[in-house]
This record gives sequence, C-alpha cells and structure tokens, in this order.
Amino acid sequence: MNTEKVVVSREVMDRIGRLHDSKLAINEKKIKRHGSIDIDDHGFIDFEEFAFEPECAADGKVHGCALIGRNLRRFLNEMPKYINPDSALATCWVGTLDRFVPLGIGAEDIPRELEETRRKYRITQPGFGAMNHLCPDMEIGLKEGWQGLLEKIRHYRRRNRPADPDFYEGEEQLVLGILEWVEAHARLAEALAAGESDPFRRKNYEEIGRINEALTQRPPETFREAVQFLAHFQSVDRTYYAGGALGALDTLLEDYFERDVRAGILTEEEAVWILASLYFNDTHYTQIGGLTPAGDREVTSRLSFVILDAMHLLHIPTNLGIRVHAPLEGQGEAPEKLLRRAVEYTLADGYGVCYSLEKGIAEGYARNGFPVELGRMRVKCGCNWVAIPGREYPLQDVTRVNMAVALHYALEDLQKEGEPSLERLWERFCSHLDAMVDCIKRGYDRHYEVMQRNLPEIVLNLFMHGPIERGLNCSNGGVDILDLNIDGIALATVADSFAAIEQRVVEERKMTWERLFRLLATNYEGAERERLMLKNIRRFGSPESRAESWAVRIRDYYVALCKGTPTPKHYLMVVPGMFSHGDVYAYGKTLEATPNGRFAGEPISHSSEPDPGFARGIDTFSPVLKANAVAMTQAGYGNSAPLHLDIDTGLVESEGGVDALVALIHAHEQAGGTLINMNCVSREKLLAAHEDPGSYPDLVVRVTGYSAFFASLSREYRQQIVDRFLSA
Amino acid sequence: MARAEIFNIQHFSVHDGPGVRTVVFFKGCNLHCAWCHNPESIRREAQILWYPEKCIGCGSCVEHCPRGAHSFREGVHAIDREKCGHCFLCCEECYADALVRVGEQRETEDIFREIERNRGYFRQSGGGATFSGGECMLQQEPLRELLALCRQAGIHTAVDTAGNVPWEFFENVRGLTDLFLYDIKAFSPEVHRACTGVGNQRILDNFRRLAAEGSRMLVRIPYIPGYNDGELEAIALFLKGYPEIPAELLPYHSLGDSKHRALGEEELPNIAAPDKEAVAELKRRYGFL
Repeated sequence: MNTEKVVVSREVMDRIGRLHDSKLAINEKKIKRHGSIDIDDHGFIDFEEFAFEPECAADGKVHGCALIGRNLRRFLNEMPKYINPDSALATCWVGTLDRFVPLGIGAEDIPRELEETRRKYRITQPGFGAMNHLCPDMEIGLKEGWQGLLEKIRHYRRRNRPADPDFYEGEEQLVLGILEWVEAHARLAEALAAGESDPFRRKNYEEIGRINEALTQRPPETFREAVQFLAHFQSVDRTYYAGGALGALDTLLEDYFERDVRAGILTEEEAVWILASLYFNDTHYTQIGGLTPAGDREVTSRLSFVILDAMHLLHIPTNLGIRVHAPLEGQGEAPEKLLRRAVEYTLADGYGVCYSLEKGIAEGYARNGFPVELGRMRVKCGCNWVAIPGREYPLQDVTRVNMAVALHYALEDLQKEGEPSLERLWERFCSHLDAMVDCIKRGYDRHYEVMQRNLPEIVLNLFMHGPIERGLNCSNGGVDILDLNIDGIALATVADSFAAIEQRVVEERKMTWERLFRLLATNYEGAERERLMLKNIRRFGSPESRAESWAVRIRDYYVALCKGTPTPKHYLMVVPGMFSHGDVYAYGKTLEATPNGRFAGEPISHSSEPDPGFARGIDTFSPVLKANAVAMTQAGYGNSAPLHLDIDTGLVESEGGVDALVALIHAHEQAGGTLINMNCVSREKLLAAHEDPGSYPDLVVRVTGYSAFFASLSREYRQQIVDRFLSA
Repeated sequence: MARAEIFNIQHFSVHDGPGVRTVVFFKGCNLHCAWCHNPESIRREAQILWYPEKCIGCGSCVEHCPRGAHSFREGVHAIDREKCGHCFLCCEECYADALVRVGEQRETEDIFREIERNRGYFRQSGGGATFSGGECMLQQEPLRELLALCRQAGIHTAVDTAGNVPWEFFENVRGLTDLFLYDIKAFSPEVHRACTGVGNQRILDNFRRLAAEGSRMLVRIPYIPGYNDGELEAIALFLKGYPEIPAELLPYHSLGDSKHRALGEEELPNIAAPDKEAVAELKRRYGFL
C-alpha cells in the first residue's frame, strides 16, 4: 500500500488555500454577528437576510414528524443555495432549524413530575428530549440514493399501513424537500457556469450541476458523487438538529475511490480537494483506521492517508478521528504509519485528529452483554461518542450528573444532623447521587414514550437499520440497540474533596467539621491559608494517593448505580459514562465552594481527569501521571472519557517526540483509555492568542472531542485550554 | 529494604535513555558543576526551596519555626538559612507551596511501585527506568535494590552517572543495569577541575574499564559556552577510540535558574544558551547525536 503523502500540485494547493481563507472570512462574520461559539465550530454560513415563517401546531410549537417534515421541505426550498467557487461540491447549511422554527415538545409530554428533582440537583442536561447523538450508517444512503430512500419510505408505508401516518408522512416530506433542494443546486450550478469566464471554474460548475442532477435520479456512482451525497446529508442533518456524524469515511468511500482511480477518472490530488471540500462544508465527525468486526484485519487503506492529507492541507477545524489498536499479528506497516503521520500533523499544525482507542471501547462495550464484535463496529461519531453506525441509539453526551452537587447536599445534611463523620458523609453523598441518577432514568423512560410524536430523528432515521422498515423513530424501538448513557461529572472535584476532609479534618485534625462548614458557607473568605490547606493535599492524579482511592470508590459506586438497574418503567439499558464536555465552567458557576479548596463558581474538574495543577511534591507533572489517572477511572462500559494532552512545541523539537507520543497513545489504549485529544502549541502563542484572539484567526484547537477556531471560543473556554496547557 | 534520598520522580522523559522513561532523581553529588541545572541535587540532605511569588503572608512559618529563621520585615518574608535547623516544619505548614522541602527518603519498594505503574509506556516505546541525580552511584544500596527489582520485573534500566566514584561501585551495579548514561564534561583535567571542582582521571579510567568490559554506554557531553567549548574536539578524539559507543551533545539551558534562586544562591550561572544552529554544526562536526 502506498503510504506516502499525496503529491498535490500548486494549483490544487492554491484552491484548498482559498477554501481555508473563505472559511476564515465566513467565521469572522459569524463571530461579529453571534459572538463566541463554544460548541463545535460548525460549518454553517450566515445569511443575515434569510428569514423563515414556520408552520406551527395549535400550541405555537413545531412537533410531530409530518409537521417537521413539511417545515423542513419548505425550509430547504427557501434557504439560500450555495456553491463556493473553489469547492468541488454544492450546498451549505445556514444554521440549525431551531433558530428559525420553534421546535419543541408538547406540554402534556414533558415529565413535570421530575422538575423539582431536576431543579434541586441542578440537572440541566437530563437526557429527556435529547437529539441526534447517534451515528448513521451512510452506506444505506450511498446504496439507495435520495430517490431510493423515497421509494423505501413509500414501500414500507404501504406494507405497515400504520394507524397514524404521521411518521411516514414526515419522512416522505423531508426526502421530497431534499430532492427539490438538490435539484435547485443543479440549476444554480448551471447558471454559475453560464456566467463564469474562468475555464476551470466553468467546467467545475458544469460538473457540480451534472452530479447534483444525477443525484436526484439515482444513487451516487463515482467518488465525487458519493462525497457530494455525503455533503447533502451533512447539510440537512446539521440543519435539523445539529446532527454531526458521517462514520468511518475510509471504509465508506474506499470502493468508489479505488474504482475511480483504477478507471483513470480520479487522481489522488483531486480526491484530496473533494474531501477538503467536504470538510469545508461542515465539521461532521469522521473516522479512519480501525479493525473489521471480526478483529482479524485492519481497515486502513490508501484512502485513509488521502483523507488525513485533506484535513492537514485545509487546516480548519475538522473532527477527524483515527482508531488506534494494538498492532495485529502480521499486520502491514500502514496502520502504524497512518498513526505516526497523524501525530506528525498534530505537532506541525498544533491540532489534528483525535485518537479513538479500541480496547476500552470494544472490550468495555462487551461488558454490557454485547458481543465484542459489535464493540469493534463502534465508530467515533461525536465529541466523545462512539456508536455502531445505523444500529445503536446511545445518547452519549446529553446528560450530566454533577456529582459535586450530591456532595454539596451531603455536607448540608451533615451540618443539620450534627455528629458528622466521613462515613456518614459518604452515605449521604451516595443517597443524593442515587436520586440524581434515578431522575435521569425516569426521564429516559418518558423520552422513549414521547419522542416519536414530538421530535423524531427525521433525518437520521433514513440512515438507520430499522426505523423506516418498522415505522418507528430510532428512540422508540426503531433500532435494535437502545443503550442510554448517563455521564457522571466532577470526579476529581469530589475525590479531592473527600481526600481533603479525610486528611485534614479526620486524621490530622487540623480543622474541625464546624470550621469546614463555615469555610464552605463563607466561600473561604479571609481564610486563604485554610483553603490552601485543603487544596494542597496529594490530589487525584498523584500515584497511590488517598484522592486516587476516593476517585476509584466514587467511580465504582456511580457505575454500579447506572448498571445496577435499567430504567424503572421500560427496562431500558443504561450505560455509565464520565464525560463533562467543555461545560465545566457552566456546572461550576452554580456550585458552592467545595472542600477541595475550590471557590464557589470556579469550574469543576473535567470528565475523569485530574484537576490542572494536581501534581506537587516528588511527582512532578507528566502526561503519564494524567493518562494513568484517566485510564484508571474510566467508567469501563465502552463510552469514552477523554485524556487531553496539551503538548508544548518544545517536545516536537526534541529527538523522539513523535515516537514518545505514539508510545503514549498505544500505552493509554492498552491501559483501557478510550480517547485522546491533543493540541500542540507554544506557550507564547497560546497566551498571546488568549489576550487577542482576533490576531490569531486561524489558530485551531481541540477543545475536547471537537475542534474549533480558538478565536471563536468565549474567554472562559479559552481559559480552560490555557489552564490545561499551563499545568502541563 | 533500603531507603533512597531522592528529590523527584519524572514519569515521562524522552531525554534520558531510549523510549519513554521514568526518571528517579537521587539527591547528592560529588561534582559541583558551575552550570548545574539541578542545583537542588548537589547536597545529599533535604533543603528548602523558597518561592516568594507564592507567599500569601500568613506567617505560619514564623509561628512554627523553632529557631526563628523566618521573619517578616515590612510585610516581606525573609529566611535566614544560617539559623535553619532543617526540621522542615515551615514547609509542612506552608500550604501555599512558597516553602518547599526538596529531598525525601523513600523505601525502594515504594519507588519501584511508581516505576512499575508505567510499564505500559515502557513496553510501547522500548523505554524503562533511569536512575539519575545528583549522582545516583553514591547511594549504592538503594540503587542496587532498585536495579534488581526492575530486572526481576523485566524493566529496562539506565544509570546516569558522572563516573566520579570508585571502580568497585561500578562492579556492584554493572551486572544489574542495561545501560550507563556516562557524562564526560571535559577532557583536560585542569578544565574539568575548574568546571566541576574535581579532576577527571578516575572518571576516564572508569569509562575505559566499563568499555573494555563491554558495558553498554551512551556518552553525554554537556555543551556549556564559556566553560567547555574548547574541550569538545578532544572529547570527540578520545571517543574515536570507542566507535561502538554513541555520544550525545546536551546544550546548556537555563531552566535551573529559578531553582538556584529558590535555594537562596546569590550568584547564578551567567551562561547564554547556545543557538540551535551552533549546536547542530557541532553535532555534525564531531559526529555527536
């Protein structure tokens, strides 16, 4: 297999460079209008003048499949059509539908009985009502094409003759809308071609027109047509509910690529440009590399390298993941070369792919009772999510159980009760945690009951195995696997708090319980020394520290709570996770002072990572200490909790920098880690960009499992990256 | 089990032997290199590092010091190191980490447990444990124990030494370690003495014997402008007699300056870090890594 970098001519490099510049200009305009954007960078183009008049239900909201389908159809018809002059592909998206349409759940379907518990425990991401956090199987679409999908809907509508036609009606309206929208792009391309004097651009517009026209009639046949189909999909997917995954791109497109190259109708540099155009279109998550379901072969192909080069050359936020596993016996050199190239690009560009780790994902998934072969099929498809394309409804990254809130109430209980003790604190903590997890499980039961009639996955249903065949939304038995995730967050905040109390209050008796309560109530005012006494223990991340023991105990209890029982009403499987996203500021903002010396309002700890600055004493900070802590405290059932590595460019300059990072990635994978997000930037550049982000418009960072322009992030999110970096 | 006097365990090093390594830094050295970037490694006994920028002015050091070594004058903390009895109560009570004890005794088994946690990284990278310092060879018993524990566990080891110890010390550890990282700082005895306070006869003799007996070695040559610039050619010539032994050039960096200050040393090594091109040229000229 050719593992060399793709040779790209100056002409194609310039074209990709212009796409990069276009993205910067589009982004600057968005920042000016909308301010900072802390979620994924999202590739939408802002058309200020575009407005949409939605068709609403009697309650003023838009819900139900048919009504959503009708709105989407009209929206697609009315929204501006777009072809960038340097792109190989047509279409863009103009913002998520909820900016233009009051999508919502009917009042009678909202679980009011859970609201009090949610308010008390500050559960702002309850899982109920969550959308899109799954992975489509785009092979379904590539095989069927838009016309084929329409026929499939009509076929199963006839066969099932559902009592309520709402589901099929909505799906049909959507696909009709997509066909009209694709057709409109064919016409736009023809019009642009007619007015274009540059011969290359004229020919390009003509080709885009021909491809879009063809895709209204039949499934894609060539590589470029297949990628155009994916661009159609990702524009519509994002528009509806910010869906964001394409799946394993190298596997999906390999046959098209090989066939076209063999037939002499596609060169590698053209493929790079077409893929760069796809990444320009949107930041949908894609994956390269990994194992076959049987685990006996690596899937890395020449196309995997081409995709990686496209990401590298375009140099904008792209959410590409590489799947990393222990080398197979007799495996060729290509997978390790791909990994190495990915690390080299990360070091050169400052950001790059994220590293999705096989063992923890596949073997962890098997602990739920699934065959490990299914675990191998799970693809990186979100910030931290992994899912089997087309077959799994996992809802990762849509719930947060802020465990520090449970600790806060436990401390309040102790203060009220009198006679505080560490064991009593643990009992009360567990009790509150129990209530929080139970609340989310009950919400999930309601979610299962009502989402089809409120907010169906109208776009993703088309690319799942089952929903169209059964006439059921994928949240509602449309797919075979419903395994609903619950994320427990603030692990280090809570573990360090327990350890600080155990050491300073219980063992050393340097502080009484009453004094501790007082310090927390007064937010450590005028008590800096005592705050530091609590903070500067051997914190989680220090090897064999008491905080580490607490972290494991808390993780174990939390996991048992999630796994111990399914949801109470419909017996849906629950899977524990420990991912906080970048929301550690939001969850910290509403939290009182904690016994780990954290002031009220300060951020909580990230996912299952130690707090920045945890290392002190004999054990100085190293990525290995952090990686060991993260691997040790994974939830362990196949859902990812990331390790963030922010590497100083100094490491790049040293001999063996790449080797060391490759070794670190492999070792973390073998230790049970699930995901690594890596940035590489100099301290000086990061600090300068933090102060004046506008001067660094093309600095891209990996925030957590997603990448973004640094300049797009709010000051708080930028601070999070800086804190992580400075503690390294 | 013996106890080692150490001052740092670094869990991810790519500079101290092959692969990813865990480096255990022993405290105490019998050389006094003018440029030392680990000045806290020179004295065997524990010391106090003082970082004024972290001080919150709580006065607990004054309150807890039995010998009155700490004081505040006009709100500014001062430490009289002459009065210090090295009880380290001040460090224990300084939660702001402005006063930090550097150096502690650890059981070799405890140290080994920390090393062992990183086995996965060693396996993936061909790395292992490096014992450095200071001069780790001066703590023979704990060093031997750690090397034996690592060998038993199949963990690759490297001993980082300046070689200024009796030959018997090498005899004691030679069969237990996989690699010596062997410093040669100057070839001329006079220059060596001027730079480090001691001559280099024993160092070069030990080197020759280790080489003769087939021990695996990697020579490390610090490049310190103004101190040993003139020595590099002679060192390269000397090493030509040992073509199987690779040699690495380590350019001076100033990362130790803050620690010199924290130890209360008035005079800092006033050395300019060499530029990259100059270092690359020297490596090319002399065949150093």
